[in-house]
Amino acid sequence: MLTVSGLAKRHAKADRPLFSDLGFSVANGEIVALVGESGVGKSTLLNCIAGLETADRGSIHIGPRALDIVRLDEATRAALRARSIGFVFQAFHVLPTLTVAQNIAVPLLLCDVPVGEHGPRIRALLARVGLTGFGDRWPASLSGGELQRVAIARALVHQPLLILADEPTGNLDPRTADEVLALLLERVREQQASALIVTHSRHVARSCDRTLTLTPEGLR
Amino acid sequence: MTTLACWLIRAQFRSRRAATLLSMLAIALGVALGYAIHLINDAALADFSRAMRAVQGDPDALIAGRDSSGGVPLASINEIASDPAVLVVAPVIETRVRVGSTPLRLIGIDVFSAAAVMPGLLPRSAAGGAGGDILAGAVYASPALLDKLSLPIGATLTLMRGDQQWSTRIAGDLPATDQNDLLLVADIAWVQEHFGPTDAVSEGRIRLAPGIDAATWRATTAQLLPDGLLLRAPEDDSARAANFSRAYRVNLNVLALVALLTGAFLVFATQLTAVAQRSTQFALLGVLGLSPSLRLLQILCEALAIGAPGALFGVSLGYMLALAFTQLVGGDLGGGYFSSSTPAIVPRIAPALAFFALGCAASLAGAIYPAFLNRSQPLAQALQAGFAQIVEAGGVRRRGWLPPVLLALTAFVLSRLPPWYELPLAAYAAIALLLVVGITSAPLLTRNLFAWCAGRRLPAAQQIALQNVAQAPLMAQVAASGLIVSFALTASMVIMVSSFRTAVDHWLDQVLPAPLYLRSKATPLPQSLLDALMQADAPFARVERTAHTSLTLDPQHPAVALIVREIERGNPAARLPITGPLLAPPADRTPVVWISEPLREIYRIEAGQWLRLPLLGRTVEGFIGGVWRDYSRQFGALVISSDDYRQLGGDFHPTDLALWPLPGRDAAAWLAPYVASHGLELADAGDIRRSSLSIFDKSFAVTYALEAAAMLIGLFGLAVTLAAGVRLRARELAMLGALGFSRRMLSHAVMLEGALIAVVGLAIGLACGIAIGAILTHVVNPQAFHWRMPLQIPWAAVVCSALSTLGAAVVASHYAARRATRLPLARILASA
Ligand SMILES: Nc1ncnc2c1ncn2[C@@H]1O[C@H](COP(=O)(O)OP(=O)(O)OP(=O)(O)O)[C@@H](O)[C@H]1O
Ligand SMILES: [Mg+2]
Repeated sequence: MLTVSGLAKRHAKADRPLFSDLGFSVANGEIVALVGESGVGKSTLLNCIAGLETADRGSIHIGPRALDIVRLDEATRAALRARSIGFVFQAFHVLPTLTVAQNIAVPLLLCDVPVGEHGPRIRALLARVGLTGFGDRWPASLSGGELQRVAIARALVHQPLLILADEPTGNLDPRTADEVLALLLERVREQQASALIVTHSRHVARSCDRTLTLTPEGLR
Repeated sequence: MTTLACWLIRAQFRSRRAATLLSMLAIALGVALGYAIHLINDAALADFSRAMRAVQGDPDALIAGRDSSGGVPLASINEIASDPAVLVVAPVIETRVRVGSTPLRLIGIDVFSAAAVMPGLLPRSAAGGAGGDILAGAVYASPALLDKLSLPIGATLTLMRGDQQWSTRIAGDLPATDQNDLLLVADIAWVQEHFGPTDAVSEGRIRLAPGIDAATWRATTAQLLPDGLLLRAPEDDSARAANFSRAYRVNLNVLALVALLTGAFLVFATQLTAVAQRSTQFALLGVLGLSPSLRLLQILCEALAIGAPGALFGVSLGYMLALAFTQLVGGDLGGGYFSSSTPAIVPRIAPALAFFALGCAASLAGAIYPAFLNRSQPLAQALQAGFAQIVEAGGVRRRGWLPPVLLALTAFVLSRLPPWYELPLAAYAAIALLLVVGITSAPLLTRNLFAWCAGRRLPAAQQIALQNVAQAPLMAQVAASGLIVSFALTASMVIMVSSFRTAVDHWLDQVLPAPLYLRSKATPLPQSLLDALMQADAPFARVERTAHTSLTLDPQHPAVALIVREIERGNPAARLPITGPLLAPPADRTPVVWISEPLREIYRIEAGQWLRLPLLGRTVEGFIGGVWRDYSRQFGALVISSDDYRQLGGDFHPTDLALWPLPGRDAAAWLAPYVASHGLELADAGDIRRSSLSIFDKSFAVTYALEAAAMLIGLFGLAVTLAAGVRLRARELAMLGALGFSRRMLSHAVMLEGALIAVVGLAIGLACGIAIGAILTHVVNPQAFHWRMPLQIPWAAVVCSALSTLGAAVVASHYAARRATRLPLARILASA
């Protein structure tokens, strides 16, 4: 469950605000596509929701305990991200110095899940994303599509309430993109999480439950 | 959470083996040097105290003359013995004699009173029993002496002093004396009878009645004593030895600290580049929910993972170094404060832990700034653009010149301050500040200079290199700061040592006017020789005689040397290297003394003042006619003319001769029989000069080793930072490659960058080095050691070492450049 209301954001050196009064919500198990022209502020909105950037006004509540991420300090935001948010990026962003299994284990470590439970959970998830047996490989030896699946596994492994994805298929060929997206949607539905997916692809947007369009004037 | 930390640390060590290992080694080196110096000094001090106690026993108080040639009159000893608070006074006569050419101490004791105060000196007869033979005129030798002379107990021995000789028998040994002591013990009456004086002893060692507070008794009794006598606590000697070698020890420790500091610097360079390299990774971890404080902690943990093993290794290495050093050289560390014995190294837990902690702290200190950068980096931007943001954040602000100028002014003020606790601590602080000034001004210089250069028309590769240095001032600063620090320290040491050496050289010229010098080893010269020298057929144009004794001016300080010389009252400058004003002596016959620079500084007295001298059992007022330079007697020395000394009633027994042979006469052959039969030392001025300079060079050898280590570390720092910079800019370099730059051009650009940074580092380092050299020469040396000398910059040596460092820096950047050319361009571009 994600609720955004009255959100305003203006970059430090920008002459006009990116948005001044955004409001929307995403229900549990709902997948929402966020579309809009380049530079309109989609990534910024996602960053605000994840607490990576601070909104100027408004509130963002994630989950049943309804914490307003805009008003939290940096450390609490980090803790909230660790427990409740899964992030997938356009550039795959995995840690090159950790193995595939270790990469996926990072959110579990951050949520203090006992180490004994890691193995089975990671193996099961690797199987679900089609990477059985990849656990001990190094990221440098994986293809882009495989890396993005690792990133998806990492975003889901701690069963977050909210999945944020910023053009998750932007760097993939159409066929792989379809596969990866399907995987992501399937897992999100399975876990009854809320998801907000930024995309430029009509095809991707159509696979989602609902589409929000960000324009300089606001949401449509 | 610890699992994640461990994974990251392991990954870091795996991917940056060389840098990590180097940082560890540098920390280890600093800790090892510091710990070794501590262990050796500790052992030498303990050894000194133990040897002191063995001979001195464990009295509650000691009474002695202030003037080493005088003594304690028997009347005073009897008076003290009659004090009801005194249990026993053990009188002692100590004198120096020779056996063959071995000088040794002959101690006359009274066995009965000695048993109560100085059990360590009690003799043991070969026949068994406690040495009844002693009253019959036999002597007892310490095991070390028996060893040295290779004589058995029971052998007959000839003791010599001046031209007198006595034969006696060794009746037994001294089981409780120290392994290094060359001692003979005899009955005090026997010593008095043969060596005099009959109405005085050298010292009385006092045991007080039970229940008497020693300190109070000493304080009240001291008031009643005649002027020439001194009552002191037995601890004084060890405490003084500790105090007076303190400045030297602190100085060595500061050098060890420099090694540790360079270690901290390497950790800084490693961790800063590590943070820069992994900024995307840490941003990602931040996005995944790693809190800012944990991101900070991670960098500190990594530093600790470098520091702890390094410090542990350093502590064990320091122990081994100390062991090896004392086995090979002895406990003196080149300062000349302790006799060269082999003290036992005893490691204790607390100091070992302290040095371990110091190593860890140095490593942590190096990581603090990188850790804060890692905490405060903006996640979203870092994830997109990597380190670029951090460079911006660490960039140069508008009024960048203000802080360095203010710091430099503070350093100047600090260098003008007097010593604290007799140590040049303010000067050391000024030196540290100057290094900071150097480091902080580096980015200003690079930015301004290279931005200007980049404006010229240049080939593409050079243009790229210039722009890079100009626009990434933080990385340039890191790379340059290692060179700045190490070169500043090296240059300053070279300047200080060269100034000192030139001054000593010049000084030796002045204090060694005669071609030949003859001296006895602390016993008076034989009268037969002195008489023969007066004869007309002696092959000398001129002979000047000198006697050395010592005086205690202040019981808190070690005795000063009293040099009685044949010197003209009106023209001391002919023989003494006078510095400052020379005052005409008073017209009447009041004695004139000329004091050495250390004496002036320790006792804070000036030429023209009057000095109360405890001379010949009374207090004599001496006029200070001038101050002369002395580099050999650190506790101070004063010269009085033999005429003045005789007029005060002193006996002039020369111990040293300065000789001007007549041309064409073989002076050495003429002296040979005296030299051989009396164990004298004959040296020509050239030999003394050479051996003095070689001792000087030896005592600075440690510092050369440290400088070399510092330079190496600085160069490694440059190589590591450049290599890391290349990896950081991998994408940019790959893109340039894709745009048509050849690998050669890329490698040239990187090498040029290294050379430019090195030039800036060396230029700033040289400027700081000269400033620090001036502080070492003009502030630290006088404050710590009371040595003054003019500043003398050896330009040739300094410029040569700068050029060779530049060469080494180019080689080091070649190593980084090779990385640039080996980058898998295609893969880097594909992974973008
Ligand atoms: N840190 C920043 N400071 C100033 N301006 C910024 C900053 N980050 C982003 N911007 C500006 O804010 C605007 C929105 O950026 P944002 O990245 O959110 O766009 P976007 O909608 O995600 O675009 P795209 O579809 O191309 O990814 C852009 O004009 C960008 O230049
Ligand atoms: Mg975007």
